[in-house]
Amino acid sequence: MSAINMSRRQFLKTTGILGGGLVIGFSMTGCSSSELPITLVQQGFVPNAFLQITPDNGIRFYCPRDEMGQGVTTGLSTLIGEELDVHPKDMEILFAGVHSDYNNPDFGVQGTGGSSSLKAHYLQLRQVGANTRGLLVAAAAQDLGVAASAISTRDGHIVVAGKQYPYGQFVQTAASLEAPTEAPLKSNAEFRYIGQAFARVDAAAKSTGTAEFGIDIDIPNMHHAVVRRSPVAGAKLKSVDKSVALNMPGVTDVIEISSGVAVVAEKYWQAKTAAAKLSPVWDEVALSKVDSSDLRADYNQAMQQDEGVVDTDEGDVKAGLAAADHIVEAEYWAPFLAHAPLEPMNAVVRIENGEADVWSGTQGIVAAQGLVSRFSGIPVEKVRAHNTYLGGAFGRRGTLTHVIEATEVAVASNKPIHLLWSREDDIQNGVYRPASLMKIKAGVKNDGSITAWQAKRVGGNITPKTLQNMMPALFPGLNDGTIDFMVGLSRDVFAGWMVDHASVEGLYEDYDTDNKTVNHVTVEHDIPLTFWRSVGHSYTSFAKEGITDELAEKAGMDPVAFRLKNTQGNPRLNNVIRVAQQHMLAMQPAEGRFLGFAAHNSFATDVAEIAEVSVIGKTIRVHKVTCIVDCGIAVNPDIVRAQMEGAVMFGLTAALYGDLELVQGAFKQSNFHDYPILKMSEAPLVEVVIIDSGTAPTGVGEPGLPPIAPAVASAVYQATGQRLRSLPLKIA
Amino acid sequence: MIEFILNGKTVSTDDDPSTPLLWVVRDTFKLKGSKFGCGAGLCGACTMHIDDEAMRTCMLPISAVAGRQVTTIEGLGTLDDMHPLQTAWVDASVPQCGYCQSGQIMAAASLLKHNPNPTEADVDAAMSGNICRCGCYVRIKGTILSVAQQNLAYNAAQEQKA
Repeated sequence: MSAINMSRRQFLKTTGILGGGLVIGFSMTGCSSSELPITLVQQGFVPNAFLQITPDNGIRFYCPRDEMGQGVTTGLSTLIGEELDVHPKDMEILFAGVHSDYNNPDFGVQGTGGSSSLKAHYLQLRQVGANTRGLLVAAAAQDLGVAASAISTRDGHIVVAGKQYPYGQFVQTAASLEAPTEAPLKSNAEFRYIGQAFARVDAAAKSTGTAEFGIDIDIPNMHHAVVRRSPVAGAKLKSVDKSVALNMPGVTDVIEISSGVAVVAEKYWQAKTAAAKLSPVWDEVALSKVDSSDLRADYNQAMQQDEGVVDTDEGDVKAGLAAADHIVEAEYWAPFLAHAPLEPMNAVVRIENGEADVWSGTQGIVAAQGLVSRFSGIPVEKVRAHNTYLGGAFGRRGTLTHVIEATEVAVASNKPIHLLWSREDDIQNGVYRPASLMKIKAGVKNDGSITAWQAKRVGGNITPKTLQNMMPALFPGLNDGTIDFMVGLSRDVFAGWMVDHASVEGLYEDYDTDNKTVNHVTVEHDIPLTFWRSVGHSYTSFAKEGITDELAEKAGMDPVAFRLKNTQGNPRLNNVIRVAQQHMLAMQPAEGRFLGFAAHNSFATDVAEIAEVSVIGKTIRVHKVTCIVDCGIAVNPDIVRAQMEGAVMFGLTAALYGDLELVQGAFKQSNFHDYPILKMSEAPLVEVVIIDSGTAPTGVGEPGLPPIAPAVASAVYQATGQRLRSLPLKIA
Repeated sequence: MIEFILNGKTVSTDDDPSTPLLWVVRDTFKLKGSKFGCGAGLCGACTMHIDDEAMRTCMLPISAVAGRQVTTIEGLGTLDDMHPLQTAWVDASVPQCGYCQSGQIMAAASLLKHNPNPTEADVDAAMSGNICRCGCYVRIKGTILSVAQQNLAYNAAQEQKA
């Protein structure tokens, strides 16, 4: 504690001088003495990295997490505003620049993902709000000559004997005082904003075309770059005749870069048109010979012949299976998927006088800074990274190849560069949700108790692939050789020694049995992988819930009752299933419609979904989804509902359509005509039931997704008698 | 040189006549509210009104809009003076990432102009070319239908006054 205080005092002094005597600031962590990336406005007061308060009572909140649609600007401003007593709608909310004070407390780096933001910042930002409020109260007590105990606060004002004084009036005095470090937090009963379903703070900007996304950045002398890349991941440029593009109108440069060849022009359409004229020739790599059928054959062989690595080994599965009255065993398949956020990847990079700026909507702005530094040779402290709104992310915007490309082009062309991917680039040159072959063998007794659960997954590992993407960004000082060594080490470790938990999460945890094994066989074909909304859960839930339905049938039990019986060790999930059962029992589906049920815990949140489905011919139609969720305190219940609605749609796109086919190492699909996204006319009604369990909040961005595919598959079984074990779901 | 009317003002450009309207509006006239999503007329993020018709502009050459009225999201309403659909969009917290919403709102505004009392099926038909990857469809549809009802009620009240 004393170390923190010392660095804080020192920081107060330093920035106090820089800011004309009115500014104080301190490092939340005590680890960083670097200057906060905050622009002072109107002699603003900066009590910490998250706030700036101006004398005219402007309240600026520097949001440490990235807004990709999940509502984090609203959620986090609600946390700090609750304790500061300022409504989020009365704050100006800005995206934070790079500083360790903005690290995600769950990750230790400045990254957004894993449905972590509300959970990770819940106490931290409330404490910052409370401490700042305490400081303002102390300043007001001094200025007004009253006891702090006679002061209350409301809506950005100090209140004394019914009279209101704006916070801004006290910032000069506050700047001379020391903030409390452990000001008391409100009890849940005292919340005024947490738990209220007020409108999103970004809704107006996003409804008027004024929200600024990375693609919208426009700076003086900016040139536009379009890159031609190999259709096969990892294949390098062998040769290209640049002259055909160089002679096109507006084109200024044609440059070979690490990922291919870039065309630079004054305007995007000129660059795009000229790039299309190029006929680059690419090297052949091992992947160049692989079709989907080869890949699947490798997966099948691994499933049959390879023991793999043990992730979990509890109890005695052999004895459990022997004790069962019935055994079920089945394989489940999930394909590679692209994220396809609607805003294609893009970045703007400007390099001038030994300094750089980068603008890009990312899930980790520190990574953008690191990559620009690494690929320009400019030290990180001279690279200013600016975040923007993200036009969707879903895991995709943690891998920033486009920032590398924009940097390489900016360096080589000596121009500020706006680099934009096409939709075809996005689907064919991306980083993917790994394909998975899963097998579960499980035993059940006639009384419905599960006796053994033996699971195995074959596929690629996300963590080493992500390290490959992130390490060059997070450690710009490490040379390529060191990074290659560490990535290789992690790949070997996950292939031969231990299991990458992201590969198997959700495959075995939810249901009661003493006897469980989980094995993993790593099979990779050099296809770039990364996190995709709900990560491993996006495919494991399909296998886990499918087998559970089959076990229930063998035991002669209703599938929901069967899950209730087998979640005694998992009380919150059990309660979610119980509430869902009540809703389901009250439903009376129309003739020709069938109900399917699934439940799943992911990212510490429990969700059950009931899908009302009809099957006509080979068409699966989902009419309505009822979603029951327990995510602890719903900080903004309307955003919880929105995330469940959105995750259902995202999951349905994967359940009904999502598929990428590999032909000679290249993905065949290219745009929304052959990689379709659910349309409004296909979208079900979604009813969301939030169980307020009153505990600290857990994530909502991802957990709505895992139950939907198995819920629909379960309804399809009711409708047709077909157990569909392969995604996307196709009626035989 | 091609001349057209952009949000009520006559503008001219010497961009190549084959350049899609979207890029002329974004790069030449610096209006960034209309978005690029697919470049193939498949997602609707680039939707603008051409003489009151909602059209995909990522493939529409500017030669085709010479002399015509082009309205973008910036011309529909502003933060201080929103179109009723925009106000309703905010009240219902429709957007998530928000990237598709300019196109959604332009498509919806055109629908209500031509069909002030749409059925759910009409909304589905008019809006199904607009992809929302975040899956805000339930709210988009509900908001369009509720704005239509408000408009009808308002018009009925005006008629009664008259």
